[in-house]
Amino acid sequence: MVGTEHVDMLPAGAKEIWSAKVNGENVEVLATSNATLLDVLRDKVGTLGVKRGCDLGTCGCCTVMVDGQPKLSCLTFAGQVSQCEIITVEGLADGAHLAPIQNCFAKYGGSQCGFCTPGFLISAQSLLNTNTSPTDEEVKTAIEGNLCRCTGYQQIVESIQAAAAIHRGEVEAEKPASSPHPDPHPSGPEEPQMPPGHAR
Amino acid sequence: MLMPPFTLHHPSNVEQACEIAKQLLEDGQQFDWVAGGTDLIPNYKWHINTKPHVISLAKIEGTNVISATEIGCMARLSDLTIANGAHPLIAEAASKVASSLIRKNATMGGNLCLDTRCFWYNQGEDWRRSIDWCHKADCGSGADCRVIPNQNTLCVATYQGDLAPNLMVLEAVVHIVGPSGQRQVSIGDFYQLDGKKKNVLEAGEFLLKVTLPKQSQQRIGCYQKLRVRDSWDFPEAGVAASWIAGDEKSLLIASTALESIPKMHDEQVSEALAAGWNGADSVKSLSVAIQKSINPVNNTTLTPRYRKKMVRVLAKRAIEGFLQ
Amino acid sequence: MSGGYKQQPGGGGNITRKDGKRVAGKQSFPPPGSGGSRPQMAKRDLQFIPETVGGREKQPAGAHVHDRIRTGTTVGKSMKLVDSNAKVTGQAWYGDDVRLPNECIAKILRSPHHYAKVISIDTSKVEALPGVLAVATGQDSLNSFGVLPVTKDEHAMAVDKVRHVGDLVACVAAVDEATALHALSLFEVEYEELEPVFDPKKGLEDADEPIHWRGKYHLGKTNVQKRVFQEFGDRSLIDKPSASNHNKWTMKGVHHGFTEPHAVVAHWDPNGRLQLYTPSQVPHYTHRALSTVLSVPMHQINVIRTFVGGGFGGKSDPFPHEMCAALLSRKCGRPVRITFDREEVYMINRGRHPSHIEVKMSADKEARITGFDIDALIDGGGFASFGHVTSYYNGVLATAPYELGSFHYTGARVWTNKPASGAMRGHGAVNTRCAVEVGLDQMAEDLSVDPIDLRLANLLPPHSRTISGFRITSNGMREALERVREGSDWDNKFRQLPLGKGIGIGCGFFISGSGLPIHWDPNKFPHATVHIQVDMDGGVTVHSGAAEIGQGSTTAIAQVVAEVLALPIEMIHVRSHESDTSPVDLGSYSSRVTFMNANAAIRAAIEIRDKLLNAAWEMIGYHPDLLVLNDRRIYYKHDPSIGVSYLKALHKAQEDKGALISSGAYRSPPMGGIHKGAAAGLAPAYSFSAYVAETDVDIETGKIKCTNVWAAHDCGRALNPLAVKGQIIGSCHMGLGQVISEEMVYGRTGHLQNANLLEYKIPSVHEMPNVVPIIVESCDPEGPFGAKEAGEGPLLPILPAVVNSVYDAIGIRINDLPLTPDTVYFAIEKKMKAQSVDDPLELESPRLTHSAMQQVVVERAAQHKVRDIARQRSDDTSAYVNGVLFGFDPNIPLEDQVEGWRSATEPLPEQLAELGFAGKAWLKKEQRELEGDN
Repeated sequence: MVGTEHVDMLPAGAKEIWSAKVNGENVEVLATSNATLLDVLRDKVGTLGVKRGCDLGTCGCCTVMVDGQPKLSCLTFAGQVSQCEIITVEGLADGAHLAPIQNCFAKYGGSQCGFCTPGFLISAQSLLNTNTSPTDEEVKTAIEGNLCRCTGYQQIVESIQAAAAIHRGEVEAEKPASSPHPDPHPSGPEEPQMPPGHAR
Repeated sequence: MLMPPFTLHHPSNVEQACEIAKQLLEDGQQFDWVAGGTDLIPNYKWHINTKPHVISLAKIEGTNVISATEIGCMARLSDLTIANGAHPLIAEAASKVASSLIRKNATMGGNLCLDTRCFWYNQGEDWRRSIDWCHKADCGSGADCRVIPNQNTLCVATYQGDLAPNLMVLEAVVHIVGPSGQRQVSIGDFYQLDGKKKNVLEAGEFLLKVTLPKQSQQRIGCYQKLRVRDSWDFPEAGVAASWIAGDEKSLLIASTALESIPKMHDEQVSEALAAGWNGADSVKSLSVAIQKSINPVNNTTLTPRYRKKMVRVLAKRAIEGFLQ
Repeated sequence: MSGGYKQQPGGGGNITRKDGKRVAGKQSFPPPGSGGSRPQMAKRDLQFIPETVGGREKQPAGAHVHDRIRTGTTVGKSMKLVDSNAKVTGQAWYGDDVRLPNECIAKILRSPHHYAKVISIDTSKVEALPGVLAVATGQDSLNSFGVLPVTKDEHAMAVDKVRHVGDLVACVAAVDEATALHALSLFEVEYEELEPVFDPKKGLEDADEPIHWRGKYHLGKTNVQKRVFQEFGDRSLIDKPSASNHNKWTMKGVHHGFTEPHAVVAHWDPNGRLQLYTPSQVPHYTHRALSTVLSVPMHQINVIRTFVGGGFGGKSDPFPHEMCAALLSRKCGRPVRITFDREEVYMINRGRHPSHIEVKMSADKEARITGFDIDALIDGGGFASFGHVTSYYNGVLATAPYELGSFHYTGARVWTNKPASGAMRGHGAVNTRCAVEVGLDQMAEDLSVDPIDLRLANLLPPHSRTISGFRITSNGMREALERVREGSDWDNKFRQLPLGKGIGIGCGFFISGSGLPIHWDPNKFPHATVHIQVDMDGGVTVHSGAAEIGQGSTTAIAQVVAEVLALPIEMIHVRSHESDTSPVDLGSYSSRVTFMNANAAIRAAIEIRDKLLNAAWEMIGYHPDLLVLNDRRIYYKHDPSIGVSYLKALHKAQEDKGALISSGAYRSPPMGGIHKGAAAGLAPAYSFSAYVAETDVDIETGKIKCTNVWAAHDCGRALNPLAVKGQIIGSCHMGLGQVISEEMVYGRTGHLQNANLLEYKIPSVHEMPNVVPIIVESCDPEGPFGAKEAGEGPLLPILPAVVNSVYDAIGIRINDLPLTPDTVYFAIEKKMKAQSVDDPLELESPRLTHSAMQQVVVERAAQHKVRDIARQRSDDTSAYVNGVLFGFDPNIPLEDQVEGWRSATEPLPEQLAELGFAGKAWLKKEQRELEGDN
């Protein structure tokens, strides 16, 4: 069964209609059978927030939510998730109002160069959707498939724990979270408080 | 990393799947099965042995069953890690596979049928061209094996699945289905020594599910995995062991990631039992015997010499894991 | 101020819908200076205003020249990066996110051979393929380029030879990716294979066909690209040492591992100008190289820096694929996009050099360090890249923070047939630093003293000169050591932990901005320039060429401008993406941005500030010296009710000329020695760091797990503590990778065997220790508000700290990085054999009983502490040069005080026989000398 032939890239396969609900909107695009979800999202749907880091499942930059589950879009055939509900980083905010996880990544240093950030946000939000009181170990397991070369992960874990506290209602979401534009008159940035229960 | 063109088929039940396979076989078309895709897609992106057709099992009803006695081929590893009724040993092993994100896609079936791996093989097409290909993916060149040159008969790529040794020590049975019907083999007989052939699946067949005997529920076990990082990495060596508490005669040990197929170590266990079981000392000698029985080659991250040494430590730790 | 200001979006804050909700995009944005949503002006934040100007901010290191312009607005406050909202919403646009209309996709044909002559390339079949739009080969541009003007040895594509597997041969642009990929298989290239070189030691020997040819400067027929010799000090001091050691290290090459692969979009616009989008750390280098390669004047090229998905040095070279995209776009008249896959990223490399490093050191009977002898042979791969500089850095950056009796360095960089090494975070300093710090640990062991005390007793003080002539200004080394010692509970752990658990120390020293801007004379053109423009609306636009690569450079610049002008940071808009609008700048490398660009920005902001104050003076009648800037208002120091809003003052200042424009520049003061290579390692300031690491070693498997790190870094002044901590923790991660798992593996055939992120093992979240970042603020006199770098220096100490902690855990020193489980395991096995132990758990971990020397170092350290505080606070301004510790007078040239004082850049004939590996390069003669011989 093992093939030993070089396969030509052309002629390209026939295009078929691929449809799904992406960030709440029904989309229909033409894609070939060999397209991954990542290919379709970036090149056809236009959600360029989904990043291609390694294309082999080892960096997590392309993570998107498929029916509520975080998935590596580079290792998912588009055809296998047609008709599913897909949420990318672009779909995390409520309109112009950033989600707590987004605000916390900014505020607690969870994002430096930002390339891995969309993937981390999706992994983290998927965790928080089912568990608003994760231990540090649970957080680490949730993001173990995401590679970050800038932060050393520590401030990412802190960001996620801070967002969890907001989800639990212990900490009020920050004011800018409800304003599409940053408040031009901030009350004065302070040293970020460590999220409760996060000893350091 | 665009994949070469192929047609992806989406059967929604086993019969349809077999029908598509049968049709393709009759047409003389080559094809691959895909479940989660985490193993196949990287290979396809590297243009390794791609086929013009791929049949997806993802939409086949009823293949994601998880219970103490049955696991369907499409059972996601992430679902196996949470308390879902699967044997705790399976949950433990599944939780050590790759990363949490890979586990969301990866499946039990895919893990058992994992392609064998080798650093002369798992590379991009340009890279493999620069070494003039290898035996396993020779692109028509008839290339020699790069690990052990001058032998052109066997592929020594390493099987690096985590679930297989654990299912072995739980005495699982593999259910295979294809155009010519269903058949069952014990998981120990499922694998076939050759990095190319890998297992007993014949053209058109796929792994439908595994079943576990009722008595497997009495077993307690432990799985030891050697890897550099606690995420992403395939096992560099892995040893699974189980027994029915207090009954050394029930001891079963299997290893993975050391040769082209995972391996049961019944022989070494019987020798240890024959010599009279006396706890810690027996564990020690048994671990040494298991180490002696395997022969890793230089085609994964860590050196074969080291991996072989570690088998003893892993075996010891795996058995001690439940002895105490 | 009722009614608002017309130019403001939303017109004044009273726009609401009938249902009471805000109108999207028309949020209330009242005019600046009116008090806005806060009716009252914010109080001055005295916690962030220095004591010397009436605030409450403590200044243990003394006053700073920038104190008078502090407003307590942003400096020293943790704040999110100004571009973070773009990043968390997925709107940040990286290289591959630039999608221009009518774009086409290009792919690159790469060499399958390590080393070969390109005999011919037949492109006819490629050109005949429908969908192919343009094809280019090396013949399309014969001009060479390189990051350093002295070593331009690269071409867009191979002109005569390919020099490593993956070297560029040709490229093709097509309507889509599939067509471009298919086209690659249609090139017909004829090669003539040449004998490749992989081992840098072999590279020192004469070859039939050297990889590059430097003409009359070529060393024999070797593959040596650069050789360095430096010797300073009194060499007689190393005779009769009380302790000495000699270690040979092998460090594997490591890669930056940034998450964003290289990508470029080139668009030759209808006006004939090239618009090139690239995620570059140093767009200016790309700009220059493009001009050379394309034979187009620089003003006809606009380099647009996209967001950069991690750089770490790996995106600072001009790259051949950028040239390819430009050539193809010129040919086909359409935008061309090239995006690398991960394998291609490793093929272009520019990572840390694989190195063979030898370090000899010795101490005298007073535990003074009498000599460092360093030999570094570094494997440069196929091209020069930054290698000229790396060759120096491997030695000269070890001349501090310790006071040395003598210093001897031989370095050589060798071309091999591998992807080129280059600059990576901690450029050139990392490997030697590790070897030196581990050697010191060993020396402390031999002297039976505590390694922290040994270091504390041998530090150079603030405001001193190193043995090679570097000017040290602020120096927080001592405080860093003291704080990690305390934080880690060192005195109760070191040499006292059970087998398998260890603790270790390591220090670091790094430049804060290279003193030499590679392309020009720093006396004739500034290092950095920043322009500021303030128009009617009050928003402040800052033009800078500093490249934001995630480290927060844009935020730092916005912060300092906000601080000087006392404006909310949201009113500062930094524009740094385009070379059309940015002043010339060398971008993000050598940890220069905070120091140089922020300084330039401060100067530009001061000019605006002066204009505003003068306008206010005119309006309210108080001299600027009596005016206070605070939160969009300028008022009389002694009666805040007498004042004027920022906007009113601005409009007054604009009456004559319209928008306020200013330009600020930074140039470094003249400094350094006059010897050959004196400029290498020269910087206007240096950062210092000390880390303590705790590590668990699994004795049976050899697997090590670093559990805790106390990381103290002297960044002068933390402009943004959140970002500084992020840099420290991130550096720990990257350095840890090099210690425990990362290496570029070249197998027996010379191929890079792990060109992917599965096999190139960057630590995951599970491998990360708990890092306690400790910020030390030595307040640099020339730094912006006292700040120095924090981006690279923090990486250095983690390597030796972990290696030393492994020794503390199992009593074994391993001089091969990375410490993979197999390396450690076999070292343990070797020790078991040597000690005839069967069970590794029976091994003994090292213990320490202090010798009499301990008292000597403790006492000296105490004296030096008093000395250092006085110097840091400028209470003591006497001269101090390296050598004072050995009894020399700092006011008399050292060579006049001792016979045989060396200050040499070439070996003496009698030294030639005893030089290390790299030193062997000095046995060869340059071609011009050989010609003379004939």
